[in-house]
Amino acid sequence: MWQLLRETQKNRELIWALALKDLQVRYKRSALGFLWALLNPLFTMIILTVVFSTLMRVAIPYYPIFIISTLLPWTFFAQSLSYAADSIVANGELLKKVYVAKSVFPMAAVLSNLINFTFSLIPLMALLVLFRFPFHWTWIYLPIPLFGLFLFALGCSFFFSMANVFFRDMAHILQVILPAWFYLSPIIFSLDLLPQKYRLLFRLNPMLYLLNGFRLAIYYGLLPSPQSAAASLAVGAAALFLGYRLFSRYQNSLVFYV
Amino acid sequence: MSRPDAARICFENVEQRFRVVRERPDTLREAFAHLFRNQTSYHSFQALKGVSFSIGDGDAMGIVGRNGSGKSTLLKIIAGVYRPTSGQIRVVGKVAPLIELGAGFHGDLTGRENIVLNGLLLGLSKKEIRNREGQILDFAELGDFIDSPVKQYSSGMYMRLAFAVATAVDPNILLIDEILAVGDEAFQQKCLVRINDFRARGKTIVFVSHSAEAVCNLCNRALLLHEGMILADDTPRRVVEKYAEVIHNAEAVSK
Repeated sequence: MWQLLRETQKNRELIWALALKDLQVRYKRSALGFLWALLNPLFTMIILTVVFSTLMRVAIPYYPIFIISTLLPWTFFAQSLSYAADSIVANGELLKKVYVAKSVFPMAAVLSNLINFTFSLIPLMALLVLFRFPFHWTWIYLPIPLFGLFLFALGCSFFFSMANVFFRDMAHILQVILPAWFYLSPIIFSLDLLPQKYRLLFRLNPMLYLLNGFRLAIYYGLLPSPQSAAASLAVGAAALFLGYRLFSRYQNSLVFYV
Repeated sequence: MSRPDAARICFENVEQRFRVVRERPDTLREAFAHLFRNQTSYHSFQALKGVSFSIGDGDAMGIVGRNGSGKSTLLKIIAGVYRPTSGQIRVVGKVAPLIELGAGFHGDLTGRENIVLNGLLLGLSKKEIRNREGQILDFAELGDFIDSPVKQYSSGMYMRLAFAVATAVDPNILLIDEILAVGDEAFQQKCLVRINDFRARGKTIVFVSHSAEAVCNLCNRALLLHEGMILADDTPRRVVEKYAEVIHNAEAVSK
């Protein structure tokens, strides 16, 4: 763990530059450029709103905002993983020629999506205004669940970026895991809407603890209990610990397989 | 010759083994298949077989040898890309690899953006890059192209920019692998001037080349690698002679 902190400190400028490059390249050839970082979540929200306020009525009030409060952090997580899984393989040619700390690539992937997530809060605010939905002061609490989710995304990214070097299936498997995980996580529903007998099962899903704070703060205007906040940080820290342990065990042989 | 304790680079009995896979299980399906068939689909290839040498401050070490003799593996170990399978290595100071120039350039970014990204990848800080940008631009001679995406560059421009960034690192150790084989004569001349400048400032150079002439001109010592072992560690002149012998013998065998 100390090694990770030292490496991050030493390479912080490189990680930033790689993350910004990611964003720059993502939007470079498009006419609207970086505006897409705002438009993309905006259109998703509009679609959700149209579907759930006209076509399909759901008993939950302000259902689109109910979804979006956890959909945005989920998207940050899912995209981080998709980007990270390819990050080391994609830089394989470079790693074979120059010594670069391998950890910078998954970290940059998560960081660039974190920046994207932050920008997606702007269209969310616009939507709140449009719905005349109250803007809760509990928003200022958001950095805490975000930090937990960030650690969790980082841990998973370390694992998948490394595993994908040895087995290229991992990137494809991930594309199956993520949608399944999406429907098993409290994004389009909440735990108390489920039948009692399934709730225990759903409590095994770490996403429950990681996303909880977002919905409470944005949708309900409530703060999570200290235990719940601690749980999200603990889940994140545990994932990072585990993911980085595996990553550092195999990182020196990565170059022979990329 | 330098004493080992004052050495910049010191190799002691270094071995590097690769698993060369005939059909590497690239996917899980193949991995399972191999598990059940229980066959080893790889063999071990030893690129370096117990190599020992040391290079001191201010030395310019030429490395010659036929293709597959382990030259590039040796450079990559010095650069830190490979961890040797066994043996001890010591490399003191900042290393700049001029191994295949432009690795890490991104086609969609401009020359200026690539200078920053590549400099960071090579271990410079943002501040150091800013300070050296002028010097890099001088060498690269790109004119207005500096703010165009590098995928629009001619290969000459690309090479000049890559060489300029790599040498701007101001390393203690400069690793050069065959890069002078590419580029036109003016470029080669320019590179040689800069490399000689490095020598004059007492930096250590490791130079891999097939060109006997270049090794003799540039280096004060040379190694001959053959099938992963050191056949000679001597003055460039003698090593190059021995290398000619090795090639001659190999040709005689193949005839």
